[in-house]
Amino acid sequence: MSLKKFSELFGDLDSINSTNNKIEVLKNYFLSNDPIDNSWAIYLLTGKSNKRFISGRYLKNLFSQIYEYPQWLIDTCYLKVGDSAEVITLLLKNKTNSRKKKLSNISLNKLLSETIPALSKLNEEEKNLEIKNLWETLPEDNHLIFNKILTGTFRVGVSIGLITKSISKLINIDEEIISHRLMGDFKPSIESYEFLINKNINLQELNYKPFPFLLANTFEDKIFQNSINDFQFEWKYDGIRMQLIKRSGNVSLWTRGQELVNESFPELVEKISHLKDDFVLDGELLVWDFKEQIALDFSLLQKRINRKSPTRSIQIKYPIIFIAYDLLEINGRDIREIKLENRRIELEKYFSKWQIKAENNISDIFKICDLIFPKDWPDALTYKEKSRENNTEGLIIKKKNSIYSSGRKKGIWWKYKVDPMQLDAVLIYAKGGSGRRAGLYTDYSFALWKDKELIKFASAYSGLTNIEIKELDKWIRKNTIEKFGPVRSLKPEMVFEISFEKIQISKRHKSGIAVRFPRITKWRKDKKINDADSLENAYKLMKKMS
Amino acid sequence: MRTKQEYLIRYKDGNLYCELADIWIDPSKAVKKALITHAHFDHFTFGCEEYISTKETAILLKERVGDNIKIKTFEYGEEFKINGINISFHPSGHILGSSQIRFIFAEEKWLISGDFKLQKDQTCKQYEIVKTDYLISECTFGLPIFKWDESNKIANDISKWITNSPEKTSLLFCYSLGKAQRLLNEISQTNFKGNIYSHGSIHKINNSYRELGIDIKDTIKIENKKKIDELKGSLILLPPSLSKGSYLKNFKNIQTAFASGWMSIRALRKRSGYDKGFAISDHADWDGILEVVKKSEAKNVFFHHGDSEALSKYLFEKESINVLLFSK
Repeated sequence: MSLKKFSELFGDLDSINSTNNKIEVLKNYFLSNDPIDNSWAIYLLTGKSNKRFISGRYLKNLFSQIYEYPQWLIDTCYLKVGDSAEVITLLLKNKTNSRKKKLSNISLNKLLSETIPALSKLNEEEKNLEIKNLWETLPEDNHLIFNKILTGTFRVGVSIGLITKSISKLINIDEEIISHRLMGDFKPSIESYEFLINKNINLQELNYKPFPFLLANTFEDKIFQNSINDFQFEWKYDGIRMQLIKRSGNVSLWTRGQELVNESFPELVEKISHLKDDFVLDGELLVWDFKEQIALDFSLLQKRINRKSPTRSIQIKYPIIFIAYDLLEINGRDIREIKLENRRIELEKYFSKWQIKAENNISDIFKICDLIFPKDWPDALTYKEKSRENNTEGLIIKKKNSIYSSGRKKGIWWKYKVDPMQLDAVLIYAKGGSGRRAGLYTDYSFALWKDKELIKFASAYSGLTNIEIKELDKWIRKNTIEKFGPVRSLKPEMVFEISFEKIQISKRHKSGIAVRFPRITKWRKDKKINDADSLENAYKLMKKMS
Repeated sequence: MRTKQEYLIRYKDGNLYCELADIWIDPSKAVKKALITHAHFDHFTFGCEEYISTKETAILLKERVGDNIKIKTFEYGEEFKINGINISFHPSGHILGSSQIRFIFAEEKWLISGDFKLQKDQTCKQYEIVKTDYLISECTFGLPIFKWDESNKIANDISKWITNSPEKTSLLFCYSLGKAQRLLNEISQTNFKGNIYSHGSIHKINNSYRELGIDIKDTIKIENKKKIDELKGSLILLPPSLSKGSYLKNFKNIQTAFASGWMSIRALRKRSGYDKGFAISDHADWDGILEVVKKSEAKNVFFHHGDSEALSKYLFEKESINVLLFSK
């Protein structure tokens, strides 16, 4: 019932690879701790909120100041460890042999609901003193968790699914129900934990929560063996997946990341609240070009999602649309168990009813997704290749006779993305990674030729295997031209195939272009740097795509 | 101030070399005369005409590579002369037989720390503080994030790790020479009373240690195709080289761990691929290195075997100790 117990749980979860063992460990933890600490544990483990009380930089400065430790030495250590909270934890081992009485059993609840929030009310000097005091009174093996919570960087390899499974096992209730209860807001309290483990299922209580999202799998060739008529085809939009809920007059907009985002899109909430029916819709939120009737770039949507209570002018500058592609509940009736093709009929029926009423005036903010009707699979491929023309990422293919289940269930929905664009580029810079990749050079920058000069055009850090990362790291250390802090400039020698989704003009970059989702798809050991692509090729590609 | 060429000991072809005595220290290539600080393979190479080491190091080396090498041995503290230079071995606390080597020539003292640790270890002689003018020290763990826990605490953690999963076979990977014996010695003093097995390479060295008078718990040599039930709840010590590849297929329902100083960093622990890491090392931690530098009273310090940039800067800023660089 304490930070100590939670630290032990963290240590166990961190060193167990087997899913079943993790579930067992979690179950035992929930059994042996009180509801309020369990509630906090779930809150932390599911990353419901990673509030940052102080920054990693602040933590390092504070340590440097209290223990008269050179800042550069802490920074050097950071390069090896890759996590401020952990660096300070390791350095504290040298420092806190003070004879202060240890707080052996501070409860997780007290720490998180009183001690840490109280820090924000102190002035800087008092705050520093209090953190020092906590460092000296908390037992050493609690420091890591404490520092991580302070800096909002607590993370452990436990998915929501794992928490769901362990609670489901604990009380013997269907995972779907638990997963539903875990949706959305979770305020740590005795009540919220007891609601979670309540053995009586009350559908009313779940009213304000979204349904677990159904996710698409990557398309597999074997699907070609099925008749094209078994499937419904839609464009794959690059927006924010959302459930739009209206129940008992209240509208809520939930993202797939389980965030309630009503405040970012007030114009949508307002329009929807005038509709007469209650419903749950699954769909995509986009910034929309109403003249051309196509989606605008995702970067514009980011300008909306991060802004609460946007002004009228922002709303006009970045007009949004909600495109519904599924109806999950209508006037209190859960229809997820009805076949997709019939749900679609219901969706169309209700949408036209809403649309007809002139006073609703929803067409400037809400529509249902258009369906595509390929004649056969080759025709479907043609559609897929056209998807860039309307700024979509490819196709979503859904089985007509499927029910709406949850998670990434096999055999129901597939995403069939258009092939990425590719260029061969030369590695010119490398930077040290953080977290699990600390101490290795894992962030890379790539360049293309412009006349006889290499111009940086993209940075990427994903796509190599662990073995390749290690091999490349070794090469980087041996072929460094210059070091600038954590960055090394490298001898131009290695060529990589870089794939990306979009290419557009950018004034911010020296190359004059920007690419979206760049990633490494192949280490072209067979190529010399002269075989790499030129900027001119990149411009050609851009022209071809627009 | 003397130039680098005039130092009694310097770097040559990537190895420590004393020109005046024409003798090399732990050379990585075959030479005429080699001083060997300890019997780890990265400090030894075949083909030298003559080796000089402590008695224990000589016995361990012969056990590992056979009798076909010519080794002259000396006791700790016993001085011997080569070309007018007085040379002696002193305990470095790294593993059984490991030593620092001191050179005295024309009233000038040089000390090569060898691999060393200050922590208590019942399987070898405690590190001896030796005063010197010039110190050449290793700095494998030369950052303040490295601070070792007491070894009995680690042993208790290991014991708990095994007993908490009684249905599993616990594989603990560690270096065969030194680390394995130290762990055995420590684990035998914990609450863990189950069976301990060790790989042939470790088993052999356990026997050598015992013959040299070190108290090592008897372990069972692990054979392939042991019954799985028999291994449940027991501990098996294995060299790290076996952690990758097919060897692990001999076991069912296992948990794995690696015992090494690097395991104190979470990112390295995660990347290592072992389930768990125990941070225990036979090298000095940051405080250990600083203590040796200070207590040796050396005016001039060199570092090798590790990244010495931060350590050197720190010693200069905080202790006004000038760290010199070998020209390699």
